[in-house]
Amino acid sequence: MTGQDQQSDMYAAREKIHPREVDGTFQRLRHLAVVVLLGIYYGLPWLQWDGRQAVLFDLPSRQFHLFALTFWPQDFIYLALLLIIAALSLFFFTALAGRLWCGYACPQTVWTEAFIWMERLTEGKRQKRLKLDQSPWTREKILRRGSKHLLWIVFALFTGFTFVGYFTPILDLGQGVLTLSLGFWEWFWLLFYSLATWGNAGFLREQVCIYMCPYARFQSAMFDRNTLIISYDEERGEPRGGRSRKADPKAQGLGDCIDCNLCVQACPTGIDIREGLQYECIACAACIDACNGVMDKMDYPRGLIRYSTENAMAGKPARILRPRVVIYAVLLLTILSGVTYSLSQRVPLSAEVLADRNVVYREVDWSTIENVFTVRILNKDRVAHDYAIRVDGIEGIAAQVRDDRIRVEAGSTDSVVVRVQVPRDQIDGPGQPFRLILESLQDPDIRNVNTARFNGPRD
Amino acid sequence: MSQATHESRQQHLIQRYGTTLWPSFLIAGIASIAFFGNIDPETLQVQTLPDWNISRLGGYTIGFFMFWAVGLTSSVLSLALRGAGNQEQ
Repeated sequence: MTGQDQQSDMYAAREKIHPREVDGTFQRLRHLAVVVLLGIYYGLPWLQWDGRQAVLFDLPSRQFHLFALTFWPQDFIYLALLLIIAALSLFFFTALAGRLWCGYACPQTVWTEAFIWMERLTEGKRQKRLKLDQSPWTREKILRRGSKHLLWIVFALFTGFTFVGYFTPILDLGQGVLTLSLGFWEWFWLLFYSLATWGNAGFLREQVCIYMCPYARFQSAMFDRNTLIISYDEERGEPRGGRSRKADPKAQGLGDCIDCNLCVQACPTGIDIREGLQYECIACAACIDACNGVMDKMDYPRGLIRYSTENAMAGKPARILRPRVVIYAVLLLTILSGVTYSLSQRVPLSAEVLADRNVVYREVDWSTIENVFTVRILNKDRVAHDYAIRVDGIEGIAAQVRDDRIRVEAGSTDSVVVRVQVPRDQIDGPGQPFRLILESLQDPDIRNVNTARFNGPRD
Repeated sequence: MSQATHESRQQHLIQRYGTTLWPSFLIAGIASIAFFGNIDPETLQVQTLPDWNISRLGGYTIGFFMFWAVGLTSSVLSLALRGAGNQEQ
Protein backbone atom coordinates (compact mmCIF):
# COMPACT_ATOMS: atom_id res chain seq x y z
CA MET A 1 0.00 0.00 0.00
CA THR A 2 1.45 3.35 -0.95
CA GLY A 3 1.36 6.39 1.25
CA GLN A 4 -1.15 7.96 -1.07
CA ASP A 5 -3.64 5.13 -0.54
CA GLN A 6 -3.09 5.10 3.18
CA GLN A 7 -3.84 8.78 3.33
CA SER A 8 -7.00 8.58 1.32
CA ASP A 9 -8.21 5.78 3.57
CA MET A 10 -7.69 7.95 6.56
CA TYR A 11 -10.09 10.52 5.25
CA ALA A 12 -13.48 8.91 5.02
CA ALA A 13 -15.61 9.93 2.08
CA ARG A 14 -17.53 13.03 2.99
CA GLU A 15 -21.11 13.50 2.10
CA LYS A 16 -22.47 16.97 2.13
CA ILE A 17 -23.92 17.67 5.54
CA HIS A 18 -27.41 19.04 5.56
CA PRO A 19 -27.99 19.92 9.19
CA ARG A 20 -31.57 19.40 10.28
CA GLU A 21 -33.40 22.56 11.27
CA VAL A 22 -34.11 22.63 15.00
CA ASP A 23 -35.72 25.16 17.24
CA GLY A 24 -34.91 25.85 20.85
CA THR A 25 -33.36 28.31 23.26
CA PHE A 26 -29.81 27.94 22.03
CA GLN A 27 -30.70 28.05 18.36
CA ARG A 28 -32.63 31.25 18.95
CA LEU A 29 -29.62 32.66 20.75
CA ARG A 30 -27.42 31.66 17.83
CA HIS A 31 -29.78 33.23 15.31
CA LEU A 32 -29.76 36.38 17.38
CA ALA A 33 -25.97 36.34 17.35
CA VAL A 34 -25.97 35.89 13.56
CA VAL A 35 -28.36 38.80 13.04
CA VAL A 36 -26.52 41.10 15.43
CA LEU A 37 -23.02 40.28 14.15
CA LEU A 38 -23.94 40.46 10.47
CA GLY A 39 -25.88 43.63 11.20
CA ILE A 40 -22.76 45.17 12.70
CA TYR A 41 -20.59 43.97 9.83
CA TYR A 42 -22.86 45.26 7.05
CA GLY A 43 -24.09 48.35 8.88
CA LEU A 44 -20.95 49.80 10.44
CA PRO A 45 -19.30 51.20 7.29
CA TRP A 46 -22.44 53.23 6.51
CA LEU A 47 -22.35 55.01 9.85
CA GLN A 48 -21.17 58.62 9.64
CA TRP A 49 -19.39 60.59 12.34
CA ASP A 50 -18.51 64.27 12.14
CA GLY A 51 -19.08 64.27 8.40
CA ARG A 52 -16.96 61.27 7.57
CA GLN A 53 -17.19 57.51 7.82
CA ALA A 54 -17.22 56.50 11.49
CA VAL A 55 -15.12 53.36 11.06
CA LEU A 56 -12.62 53.63 8.25
CA PHE A 57 -9.25 51.96 7.98
CA ASP A 58 -7.92 54.36 5.43
CA LEU A 59 -4.95 52.40 4.15
CA PRO A 60 -4.07 54.73 1.26
CA SER A 61 -3.51 57.64 3.66
CA ARG A 62 -2.36 55.46 6.55
CA GLN A 63 -4.94 56.61 9.09
CA PHE A 64 -7.48 54.59 11.03
CA HIS A 65 -10.67 56.39 11.97
CA LEU A 66 -12.64 54.95 14.83
CA PHE A 67 -15.51 57.26 15.72
CA ALA A 68 -13.93 60.28 17.46
CA LEU A 69 -10.43 58.79 17.40
CA THR A 70 -7.89 58.82 14.61
CA PHE A 71 -4.92 56.51 14.71
CA TRP A 72 -1.61 56.95 12.89
CA PRO A 73 1.20 54.53 12.16
CA GLN A 74 2.84 56.00 15.30
CA ASP A 75 -0.03 54.50 17.27
CA PHE A 76 0.84 51.00 16.13
CA ILE A 77 1.11 49.96 19.77
CA TYR A 78 -2.68 50.23 20.09
CA LEU A 79 -3.18 47.82 17.22
CA ALA A 80 -0.76 45.36 18.80
CA LEU A 81 -2.54 45.74 22.15
CA LEU A 82 -5.88 45.23 20.46
CA LEU A 83 -4.67 41.94 19.02
CA ILE A 84 -3.39 40.89 22.44
CA ILE A 85 -6.73 41.81 24.03
CA ALA A 86 -8.56 39.79 21.38
CA ALA A 87 -6.34 36.76 21.99
CA LEU A 88 -6.68 37.02 25.78
CA SER A 89 -10.46 37.33 25.57
CA LEU A 90 -10.51 34.21 23.45
CA PHE A 91 -8.42 32.36 26.06
CA PHE A 92 -10.58 33.66 28.88
CA PHE A 93 -13.90 32.69 27.34
CA THR A 94 -12.55 29.36 26.20
CA ALA A 95 -11.35 28.46 29.69
CA LEU A 96 -14.67 29.55 31.14
CA ALA A 97 -17.25 28.41 28.65
CA GLY A 98 -15.51 26.25 26.06
CA ARG A 99 -15.96 26.90 22.38
CA LEU A 100 -18.38 29.76 22.77
CA TRP A 101 -16.55 31.55 19.97
CA CYS A 102 -16.96 28.66 17.52
CA GLY A 103 -20.64 28.12 18.11
CA TYR A 104 -21.83 31.70 18.23
CA ALA A 105 -19.38 34.29 16.99
CA CYS A 106 -16.85 32.86 14.52
CA PRO A 107 -17.32 34.41 11.06
CA GLN A 108 -17.15 30.91 9.60
CA THR A 109 -20.16 29.86 11.69
CA VAL A 110 -22.05 33.08 11.20
CA TRP A 111 -21.72 33.17 7.41
CA THR A 112 -22.36 29.45 7.12
CA GLU A 113 -25.63 29.97 9.04
CA ALA A 114 -26.58 32.75 6.65
CA PHE A 115 -25.75 30.60 3.62
CA ILE A 116 -27.67 27.61 5.00
CA TRP A 117 -30.62 29.89 5.55
CA MET A 118 -30.52 30.87 1.87
CA GLU A 119 -30.16 27.21 0.96
CA ARG A 120 -33.29 26.43 2.97
CA LEU A 121 -35.14 29.26 1.29
CA THR A 122 -34.44 27.95 -2.21
CA GLU A 123 -34.00 24.21 -1.82
CA GLY A 124 -36.31 23.51 1.11
CA LYS A 125 -35.83 21.66 4.35
CA ARG A 126 -33.32 18.93 5.05
CA GLN A 127 -35.31 16.01 3.59
CA LYS A 128 -36.02 17.94 0.43
CA ARG A 129 -32.40 18.94 0.05
CA LEU A 130 -31.21 15.37 0.51
CA LYS A 131 -33.66 14.26 -2.18
CA LEU A 132 -32.62 17.10 -4.47
CA ASP A 133 -28.97 16.03 -4.16
CA GLN A 134 -29.91 12.59 -5.46
CA SER A 135 -32.33 13.66 -8.15
CA PRO A 136 -31.34 14.02 -11.83
CA TRP A 137 -31.05 17.47 -13.35
CA THR A 138 -34.71 18.26 -13.83
CA ARG A 139 -36.10 21.69 -14.55
CA GLU A 140 -36.95 22.11 -10.88
CA LYS A 141 -33.48 21.17 -9.71
CA ILE A 142 -31.87 23.62 -12.12
CA LEU A 143 -34.23 26.34 -11.00
CA ARG A 144 -33.70 25.67 -7.28
CA ARG A 145 -29.95 25.25 -7.52
CA GLY A 146 -29.67 28.24 -9.83
CA SER A 147 -31.61 30.54 -7.54
CA LYS A 148 -29.59 29.33 -4.54
CA HIS A 149 -26.34 30.20 -6.25
CA LEU A 150 -27.72 33.49 -7.46
CA LEU A 151 -28.63 34.40 -3.87
CA TRP A 152 -25.27 33.19 -2.59
CA ILE A 153 -23.31 35.12 -5.20
CA VAL A 154 -25.23 38.35 -4.68
CA PHE A 155 -24.79 38.01 -0.91
CA ALA A 156 -21.09 37.16 -1.28
CA LEU A 157 -20.52 40.12 -3.60
CA PHE A 158 -22.21 42.43 -1.12
CA THR A 159 -19.99 40.95 1.59
CA GLY A 160 -16.88 41.66 -0.49
CA PHE A 161 -18.14 45.15 -1.23
CA THR A 162 -18.68 45.81 2.49
CA PHE A 163 -15.22 44.46 3.28
CA VAL A 164 -13.56 46.90 0.90
CA GLY A 165 -15.89 49.56 2.35
CA TYR A 166 -13.93 49.38 5.59
CA PHE A 167 -10.82 50.51 3.71
CA THR A 168 -12.18 52.87 1.08
CA PRO A 169 -15.01 55.30 1.93
CA ILE A 170 -18.06 53.17 1.20
CA LEU A 171 -20.08 55.93 -0.46
CA ASP A 172 -17.32 56.56 -3.00
CA LEU A 173 -16.94 52.83 -3.37
CA GLY A 174 -20.65 52.43 -4.13
CA GLN A 175 -20.43 55.12 -6.76
CA GLY A 176 -17.30 53.51 -8.19
CA VAL A 177 -19.06 50.16 -8.49
CA LEU A 178 -22.13 51.68 -10.12
CA THR A 179 -20.06 53.58 -12.68
CA LEU A 180 -17.55 50.70 -12.99
CA SER A 181 -14.73 53.08 -12.21
CA LEU A 182 -12.98 51.43 -9.25
CA GLY A 183 -9.23 51.09 -9.12
CA PHE A 184 -7.70 47.72 -9.95
CA TRP A 185 -6.84 46.81 -6.36
CA GLU A 186 -10.30 47.65 -5.12
CA TRP A 187 -11.87 45.37 -7.74
CA PHE A 188 -9.35 42.74 -6.86
CA TRP A 189 -10.09 42.74 -3.12
CA LEU A 190 -13.84 43.00 -3.67
CA LEU A 191 -13.85 39.89 -5.85
CA PHE A 192 -11.26 38.06 -3.77
CA TYR A 193 -13.22 38.50 -0.57
CA SER A 194 -16.50 37.59 -2.28
CA LEU A 195 -14.96 34.43 -3.65
CA ALA A 196 -13.58 33.49 -0.24
CA THR A 197 -16.98 34.06 1.40
CA TRP A 198 -18.77 32.03 -1.26
CA GLY A 199 -16.30 29.15 -1.02
CA ASN A 200 -15.98 29.09 2.77
CA ALA A 201 -19.64 29.53 3.69
CA GLY A 202 -21.20 27.78 0.70
CA PHE A 203 -18.94 24.78 0.20
CA LEU A 204 -16.21 24.24 2.77
CA ARG A 205 -18.32 24.95 5.85
CA GLU A 206 -17.55 22.53 8.70
CA GLN A 207 -14.41 21.36 6.89
CA VAL A 208 -12.84 24.71 7.71
CA CYS A 209 -13.42 23.96 11.40
CA ILE A 210 -12.27 20.36 11.16
CA TYR A 211 -9.28 20.61 8.84
CA MET A 212 -8.20 24.22 8.71
CA CYS A 213 -8.83 25.93 11.99
CA PRO A 214 -5.76 26.27 14.24
CA TYR A 215 -7.91 27.31 17.20
CA ALA A 216 -9.80 24.01 17.07
CA ARG A 217 -6.50 22.23 17.63
CA PHE A 218 -5.16 24.55 20.33
CA GLN A 219 -8.30 25.10 22.36
CA SER A 220 -7.81 21.87 24.32
CA ALA A 221 -4.82 23.57 25.97
CA MET A 222 -7.19 26.12 27.50
CA PHE A 223 -9.66 23.48 28.65
CA ASP A 224 -9.76 21.89 32.04
CA ARG A 225 -12.25 19.69 33.85
CA ASN A 226 -14.35 22.72 34.82
CA THR A 227 -14.76 24.12 31.32
CA LEU A 228 -18.27 24.21 29.94
CA ILE A 229 -18.75 21.53 27.30
CA ILE A 230 -21.71 19.94 25.58
CA SER A 231 -22.13 16.44 26.77
CA TYR A 232 -24.45 13.52 26.59
CA ASP A 233 -25.48 12.03 29.93
CA GLU A 234 -24.47 8.50 29.21
CA GLU A 235 -25.56 7.14 32.55
CA ARG A 236 -29.06 8.42 32.04
CA GLY A 237 -29.35 7.71 28.33
CA GLU A 238 -27.94 4.19 27.97
CA PRO A 239 -28.88 1.62 26.95
CA ARG A 240 -30.51 3.54 24.15
CA GLY A 241 -33.29 2.18 22.01
CA GLY A 242 -36.64 2.85 20.38
CA ARG A 243 -39.80 2.49 22.37
CA SER A 244 -43.39 3.64 22.27
CA ARG A 245 -44.33 6.84 24.05
CA LYS A 246 -46.38 5.01 26.63
CA ALA A 247 -43.88 2.30 27.42
CA ASP A 248 -41.99 2.43 30.69
CA PRO A 249 -38.34 2.43 29.74
CA LYS A 250 -37.26 1.00 33.07
CA ALA A 251 -39.45 -2.05 32.58
CA GLN A 252 -37.84 -2.58 29.16
CA GLY A 253 -34.38 -2.05 30.62
CA LEU A 254 -33.79 1.09 28.52
CA GLY A 255 -32.23 4.44 29.31
CA ASP A 256 -33.75 7.78 28.29
CA CYS A 257 -32.16 7.96 24.82
CA ILE A 258 -34.75 6.82 22.29
CA ASP A 259 -32.08 6.63 19.57
CA CYS A 260 -34.03 8.94 17.24
CA ASN A 261 -30.75 10.24 15.78
CA LEU A 262 -32.04 13.81 15.70
CA CYS A 263 -28.95 15.02 17.55
CA VAL A 264 -26.81 13.58 14.76
CA GLN A 265 -28.99 15.04 12.02
CA ALA A 266 -28.92 18.47 13.62
CA CYS A 267 -25.14 18.55 13.93
CA PRO A 268 -23.51 20.91 11.43
CA THR A 269 -20.22 19.01 11.66
CA GLY A 270 -21.87 15.60 11.35
CA ILE A 271 -20.73 14.00 14.62
CA ASP A 272 -22.56 11.91 17.16
CA ILE A 273 -22.29 13.70 20.51
CA ARG A 274 -23.18 10.44 22.28
CA GLU A 275 -19.72 9.16 21.48
CA GLY A 276 -18.25 11.72 23.84
CA LEU A 277 -16.41 15.02 23.45
CA GLN A 278 -14.83 15.33 19.99
CA TYR A 279 -12.63 18.02 18.56
CA GLU A 280 -15.04 18.47 15.64
CA CYS A 281 -17.71 19.75 18.03
CA ILE A 282 -18.09 23.50 17.62
CA ALA A 283 -20.42 23.75 20.64
CA CYS A 284 -23.32 25.15 18.67
CA ALA A 285 -25.79 23.35 20.98
CA ALA A 286 -28.03 22.28 18.08
CA CYS A 287 -28.05 18.75 19.53
CA ILE A 288 -29.17 20.10 22.91
CA ASP A 289 -32.16 21.81 21.35
CA ALA A 290 -32.98 18.81 19.18
CA CYS A 291 -32.80 16.44 22.14
CA ASN A 292 -34.76 18.73 24.46
CA GLY A 293 -37.54 18.83 21.89
CA VAL A 294 -37.65 15.05 21.85
CA MET A 295 -37.54 14.81 25.65
CA ASP A 296 -40.52 17.18 25.82
CA LYS A 297 -42.47 15.00 23.41
CA MET A 298 -41.63 11.90 25.41
CA ASP A 299 -42.46 13.62 28.71
CA TYR A 300 -38.95 12.95 29.95
CA PRO A 301 -36.99 15.63 31.79
CA ARG A 302 -34.83 17.84 29.57
CA GLY A 303 -31.07 17.83 29.59
CA LEU A 304 -30.10 14.37 28.35
CA ILE A 305 -27.66 16.37 26.23
CA ARG A 306 -26.69 19.57 28.01
CA TYR A 307 -24.04 22.14 28.75
CA SER A 308 -22.01 20.66 31.54
CA THR A 309 -18.43 20.21 32.74
CA GLU A 310 -16.34 17.10 33.03
CA ASN A 311 -16.36 17.48 36.79
CA ALA A 312 -20.11 17.90 36.96
CA MET A 313 -20.63 14.84 34.80
CA ALA A 314 -18.43 12.87 37.17
CA GLY A 315 -20.50 14.09 40.10
CA LYS A 316 -17.79 16.37 41.46
CA PRO A 317 -18.42 19.99 42.41
CA ALA A 318 -17.87 22.44 39.55
CA ARG A 319 -15.66 25.46 40.15
CA ILE A 320 -15.87 28.61 38.15
CA LEU A 321 -12.99 30.53 39.71
CA ARG A 322 -9.85 28.57 38.86
CA PRO A 323 -6.31 29.91 38.71
CA ARG A 324 -6.27 29.99 34.91
CA VAL A 325 -9.57 31.86 34.69
CA VAL A 326 -8.39 34.36 37.28
CA ILE A 327 -5.03 34.86 35.56
CA TYR A 328 -6.63 35.43 32.14
CA ALA A 329 -9.15 37.81 33.71
CA VAL A 330 -6.51 39.81 35.58
CA LEU A 331 -4.30 40.11 32.50
CA LEU A 332 -7.24 41.12 30.37
CA LEU A 333 -8.48 43.74 32.84
CA THR A 334 -5.00 45.18 33.31
CA ILE A 335 -4.38 45.64 29.60
CA LEU A 336 -7.91 46.88 28.97
CA SER A 337 -7.76 49.53 31.68
CA GLY A 338 -4.26 50.51 30.56
CA VAL A 339 -5.43 51.03 26.99
CA THR A 340 -8.53 52.93 28.13
CA TYR A 341 -6.48 55.21 30.36
CA SER A 342 -3.89 55.83 27.70
CA LEU A 343 -6.60 56.57 25.11
CA SER A 344 -8.27 59.05 27.44
CA GLN A 345 -4.93 60.81 27.96
CA ARG A 346 -4.11 60.76 24.28
CA VAL A 347 -3.27 64.11 22.70
CA PRO A 348 -3.53 64.49 18.91
CA LEU A 349 0.01 65.76 18.67
CA SER A 350 3.37 64.07 18.71
CA ALA A 351 6.88 65.35 18.30
CA GLU A 352 10.37 63.98 17.92
CA VAL A 353 13.36 66.03 19.05
CA LEU A 354 16.57 65.25 17.21
CA ALA A 355 19.89 66.83 18.18
CA ASP A 356 22.16 68.08 15.42
CA ARG A 357 24.59 65.28 14.79
CA ASN A 358 27.41 67.35 13.31
CA VAL A 359 27.92 70.06 15.88
CA VAL A 360 27.49 69.12 19.52
CA TYR A 361 27.47 72.73 20.76
CA ARG A 362 28.37 76.16 19.53
CA GLU A 363 29.65 79.16 21.40
CA VAL A 364 27.49 82.06 20.31
CA ASP A 365 29.46 84.61 22.36
CA TRP A 366 31.46 84.66 25.58
CA SER A 367 28.45 84.00 27.73
CA THR A 368 26.10 81.88 25.62
CA ILE A 369 26.19 78.24 24.44
CA GLU A 370 23.86 77.00 21.72
CA ASN A 371 22.57 73.56 20.68
CA VAL A 372 20.59 73.03 17.49
CA PHE A 373 17.68 70.62 17.40
CA THR A 374 15.30 69.52 14.68
CA VAL A 375 11.76 69.04 15.93
CA ARG A 376 9.50 66.88 13.82
CA ILE A 377 5.88 67.75 14.56
CA LEU A 378 3.00 65.46 13.67
CA ASN A 379 -0.43 67.03 13.88
CA LYS A 380 -2.73 64.06 14.48
CA ASP A 381 -5.81 66.24 14.78
CA ARG A 382 -8.45 66.69 12.11
CA VAL A 383 -7.89 70.47 11.91
CA ALA A 384 -4.79 72.57 11.29
CA HIS A 385 -2.97 74.01 14.32
CA ASP A 386 -0.43 76.74 15.01
CA TYR A 387 2.12 75.62 17.53
CA ALA A 388 4.49 77.55 19.74
CA ILE A 389 7.68 76.10 21.15
CA ARG A 390 9.15 76.94 24.53
CA VAL A 391 11.81 75.38 26.70
CA ASP A 392 12.43 75.17 30.43
CA GLY A 393 14.37 73.16 33.00
CA ILE A 394 17.64 75.13 32.99
CA GLU A 395 18.01 78.62 34.43
CA GLY A 396 18.06 81.20 31.64
CA ILE A 397 17.34 78.71 28.82
CA ALA A 398 15.75 80.14 25.70
CA ALA A 399 14.62 78.84 22.33
CA GLN A 400 14.87 80.60 19.01
CA VAL A 401 12.64 79.51 16.18
CA ARG A 402 12.42 81.06 12.73
CA ASP A 403 8.72 81.58 13.28
CA ASP A 404 6.91 81.84 16.57
CA ARG A 405 3.82 80.25 15.04
CA ILE A 406 4.45 76.94 13.39
CA ARG A 407 1.49 75.99 11.27
CA VAL A 408 0.94 72.28 10.60
CA GLU A 409 -2.01 71.13 8.50
CA ALA A 410 -4.37 68.40 9.71
CA GLY A 411 -2.71 65.02 9.51
CA SER A 412 0.60 66.45 8.32
CA THR A 413 4.13 66.54 9.59
CA ASP A 414 6.55 69.43 9.59
CA SER A 415 10.13 69.83 10.77
CA VAL A 416 11.42 72.99 12.38
CA VAL A 417 14.92 73.92 13.45
CA VAL A 418 15.09 75.11 17.05
CA ARG A 419 18.18 76.87 18.41
CA VAL A 420 18.35 76.42 22.16
CA GLN A 421 20.62 78.79 24.08
CA VAL A 422 21.83 78.53 27.66
CA PRO A 423 24.06 80.99 29.60
CA ARG A 424 27.56 79.58 30.00
CA ASP A 425 27.49 79.90 33.77
CA GLN A 426 24.50 77.54 33.92
CA ILE A 427 26.33 74.75 32.14
CA ASP A 428 26.86 71.90 34.53
CA GLY A 429 28.39 68.95 32.75
CA PRO A 430 27.32 67.30 29.48
CA GLY A 431 23.81 66.13 28.71
CA GLN A 432 21.80 68.38 31.00
CA PRO A 433 18.11 67.52 30.63
CA PHE A 434 15.62 70.20 29.69
CA ARG A 435 12.00 70.19 28.57
CA LEU A 436 10.85 71.21 25.14
CA ILE A 437 7.17 72.08 25.16
CA LEU A 438 5.06 72.27 22.08
CA GLU A 439 1.67 73.89 22.54
CA SER A 440 -1.20 74.59 20.21
CA LEU A 441 -2.21 78.26 20.10
CA GLN A 442 -5.80 77.26 19.30
CA ASP A 443 -6.17 74.71 22.08
CA PRO A 444 -3.72 74.85 25.03
CA ASP A 445 -4.82 71.34 26.06
CA ILE A 446 -3.06 70.02 23.00
CA ARG A 447 0.53 70.06 24.14
CA ASN A 448 3.47 67.77 23.94
CA VAL A 449 6.35 67.69 26.37
CA ASN A 450 9.64 66.21 25.29
CA THR A 451 12.76 65.79 27.36
CA ALA A 452 15.99 66.47 25.51
CA ARG A 453 19.61 66.93 26.56
CA PHE A 454 21.71 70.04 26.31
CA ASN A 455 25.44 69.76 25.71
CA GLY A 456 28.04 72.31 26.60
CA PRO A 457 31.78 72.56 27.23
CA ARG A 458 33.08 70.34 30.03
CA ASP A 459 34.92 72.95 32.10
CA MET B 1 -13.36 5.51 -10.42
CA SER B 2 -16.04 4.84 -7.85
CA GLN B 3 -17.97 7.63 -6.21
CA ALA B 4 -16.36 6.94 -2.83
CA THR B 5 -12.75 7.13 -4.04
CA HIS B 6 -13.61 10.22 -5.99
CA GLU B 7 -14.98 11.84 -2.88
CA SER B 8 -12.12 10.80 -0.66
CA ARG B 9 -9.71 12.19 -3.24
CA GLN B 10 -11.61 15.42 -3.10
CA GLN B 11 -11.39 15.24 0.66
CA HIS B 12 -7.69 14.67 0.47
CA LEU B 13 -7.35 17.72 -1.73
CA ILE B 14 -9.24 19.88 0.76
CA GLN B 15 -6.94 18.56 3.50
CA ARG B 16 -3.93 19.62 1.48
CA TYR B 17 -5.28 23.09 0.82
CA GLY B 18 -6.40 23.31 4.44
CA THR B 19 -2.97 22.59 5.82
CA THR B 20 -1.02 24.80 3.42
CA LEU B 21 -3.06 27.65 1.95
CA TRP B 22 -4.94 28.50 5.10
CA PRO B 23 -2.23 28.75 7.79
CA SER B 24 0.00 30.71 5.45
CA PHE B 25 -2.93 33.03 4.71
CA LEU B 26 -3.48 33.72 8.42
CA ILE B 27 0.19 34.34 9.07
CA ALA B 28 0.47 36.54 5.96
CA GLY B 29 -2.35 38.66 7.37
CA ILE B 30 -0.63 39.13 10.72
CA ALA B 31 2.76 39.69 9.08
CA SER B 32 1.30 42.34 6.76
CA ILE B 33 -0.26 44.21 9.69
CA ALA B 34 3.00 44.14 11.65
CA PHE B 35 5.14 45.06 8.63
CA PHE B 36 3.02 47.79 7.07
CA GLY B 37 2.07 49.17 10.47
CA ASN B 38 5.68 50.22 10.75
CA ILE B 39 6.76 50.69 7.15
CA ASP B 40 5.04 52.82 4.56
CA PRO B 41 4.96 51.01 1.20
CA GLU B 42 5.31 54.37 -0.55
CA THR B 43 8.63 55.10 1.17
CA LEU B 44 9.74 51.59 0.39
CA GLN B 45 8.88 52.04 -3.27
CA VAL B 46 10.65 55.41 -3.52
CA GLN B 47 13.77 53.99 -1.96
CA THR B 48 13.90 50.70 -3.86
CA LEU B 49 12.03 50.97 -7.14
CA PRO B 50 11.82 54.71 -7.87
CA ASP B 51 10.93 54.14 -11.53
CA TRP B 52 7.89 52.06 -10.76
CA ASN B 53 4.51 53.48 -10.08
CA ILE B 54 2.94 51.48 -7.26
CA SER B 55 0.13 52.94 -5.17
CA ARG B 56 -0.06 52.30 -1.44
CA LEU B 57 -2.97 49.91 -1.88
CA GLY B 58 -0.95 48.08 -4.53
CA GLY B 59 2.01 47.96 -2.18
CA TYR B 60 -0.05 46.44 0.61
CA THR B 61 -1.50 43.86 -1.75
CA ILE B 62 1.84 42.86 -3.23
CA GLY B 63 3.32 42.65 0.26
CA PHE B 64 0.47 40.50 1.52
CA PHE B 65 0.77 38.07 -1.38
CA MET B 66 4.55 37.92 -0.97
CA PHE B 67 4.14 36.98 2.70
CA TRP B 68 1.52 34.46 1.68
CA ALA B 69 3.76 32.93 -0.99
CA VAL B 70 6.65 32.57 1.46
CA GLY B 71 4.42 30.95 4.09
CA LEU B 72 2.82 28.72 1.49
CA THR B 73 6.18 27.48 0.24
CA SER B 74 7.19 26.59 3.76
CA SER B 75 3.86 24.85 4.44
CA VAL B 76 4.06 22.84 1.22
CA LEU B 77 7.59 21.76 2.10
CA SER B 78 6.49 20.71 5.57
CA LEU B 79 3.63 18.73 4.07
CA ALA B 80 5.95 17.05 1.57
CA LEU B 81 8.50 16.16 4.26
CA ARG B 82 5.85 14.85 6.59
CA GLY B 83 4.39 12.76 3.76
CA ALA B 84 7.80 11.23 3.07
CA GLY B 85 8.15 10.36 6.74
CA ASN B 86 4.80 8.65 6.70
CA GLN B 87 5.85 6.39 3.85
CA GLU B 88 8.74 5.01 5.85
CA GLN B 89 6.57 3.90 8.70
